Amino acid sequence: MRWSLLVNLNKCVTCYSCVTKCKQEHFLPPGVSWGKILVSETGKHPRVIKLSYPVLCNHCQEAKCVEVCPAGATQRREDGIVWIDPDKCIGCRYCVVACPYQARTYLAKTKEYYPGQGFTEFEKIGDRLYHHQIGTVSKCNFCMERIDAGIKRGLKPGVDREATPVCVITCPAKARYFGDLDDPSSEISELVRKSQAAPLHPEYATEPAVYYAIR
Amino acid sequence: MIQVRPHEFMVKHTPQTEWISGRGVLVWLAFAFIELGAGTFLVASFSGSLSGMLAGWLICGIIGGGLHLLYLGRPLRFWRILASSGWKTSWLARGLYFVVFFLVLGAVYMLLARGGGAPVGLMVITNVFAFLAIIYLGFVMSTVNGIALWNTPLLAVLYAVLGIWGGAGVNLLLGTAPAVKGWVNLFLASYAFILGVYLVCIRYQGGTAGKVSVQQIVATKWSPLFWIVSVALGIVFPGAIGIIGWVTGLGIPEAIVVISIVGELLGDLALRYCILRSALYSPVIPAQRQAS
Repeated sequence: MRWSLLVNLNKCVTCYSCVTKCKQEHFLPPGVSWGKILVSETGKHPRVIKLSYPVLCNHCQEAKCVEVCPAGATQRREDGIVWIDPDKCIGCRYCVVACPYQARTYLAKTKEYYPGQGFTEFEKIGDRLYHHQIGTVSKCNFCMERIDAGIKRGLKPGVDREATPVCVITCPAKARYFGDLDDPSSEISELVRKSQAAPLHPEYATEPAVYYAIR
Repeated sequence: MIQVRPHEFMVKHTPQTEWISGRGVLVWLAFAFIELGAGTFLVASFSGSLSGMLAGWLICGIIGGGLHLLYLGRPLRFWRILASSGWKTSWLARGLYFVVFFLVLGAVYMLLARGGGAPVGLMVITNVFAFLAIIYLGFVMSTVNGIALWNTPLLAVLYAVLGIWGGAGVNLLLGTAPAVKGWVNLFLASYAFILGVYLVCIRYQGGTAGKVSVQQIVATKWSPLFWIVSVALGIVFPGAIGIIGWVTGLGIPEAIVVISIVGELLGDLALRYCILRSALYSPVIPAQRQAS
């Protein structure tokens, strides 16, 4: 089993709902986004093309971050999800430096969303429900809590909403697909095959689990 | 015009900042002092100078190790490196083992040597770990394949020469290994040669990111630091002093020798700074790479 995500770039409307929902779901502090949208433009007026790529942790099969972590805090599960155990992270940031996709963030200090105004009720609740340890590194975990809880309830990630990452279910353009890449009959496997989807920087030989399709 | 968004910079070459900006300067200094200390110990041990070995041990363990701990987000958890199996894949974990073994064996050797009964075998093993402590940073950085400037085994060779060359400098400064004087020109020549090979290799084989990184070091952003401190003060000046002394056979005034050694050590630090500062990631988006 290998959980994987496909983004159809033709469908993405750059609405940032995936980024916002991820921040809300995981109560991410200011300045931290596990998902990002990279926007740029190419060409000259009037033939300008806007490029937007939603990016997140690629949950690589040959993950550099897992390889370099000196404390064993970054681990790869059997289902392919790469996650960080915050209780083991020593904050050396070697993984942040080693990730060629720059998908990791170091949590340097506690910040308020409204500086000088104190924490809002939402932030206080978030700290209790999803505590982020200062002095450690964080990144996208494919909403593994949702996946694990969903599987326990007999749900199928990628098919049932309650067991699927929030960035996938919140996308209004249905540009994101999630599923088991090792199952040849799964929707994502078929889409990767049919659309000839490709990951970012395959030359690094990290074998990412996030694919991008342009048709 | 498209509004600039927070992560738009990632479509261009992005500088590595974690290990050089803000508290990241501690990493730069920590690695430099660990290598300098281990190099000092190594050079002093060949001269049988206990005071030189002690100086190297203190520079490596107290200054280098202390700076490393200060940098960690969770310094009290550093023992987890030794408790985990991270050493199987992580050069940072292996490096900690090398440094710990070097410090422990070095302390035992110095204690025994003070009593007059230190076995040669112990010195050999300690020096092996001191050498590994010098070169491990090269492997820590060369495994980062997202940064072309670092992704080469030549970096380990460069740091090996830098560490030993710096160690020789500290010993000369302290007067603990005067015999090293005869070797200085050889160290200097090999250092300059490897530095040149390293920069040329990255420039022509490191892709666009490597090319831009080397340009930043030798021609644009960090070139004043590189040419004035690393090359002029760190290589040309000590080299000129050494050659003048060798050709004329006259004694060089002590003050000038001290200035040249200080220049050498500053050049070492400046080069390490340039290598950390000019490290660039390739753009995350491949399409933009082609467009740019």
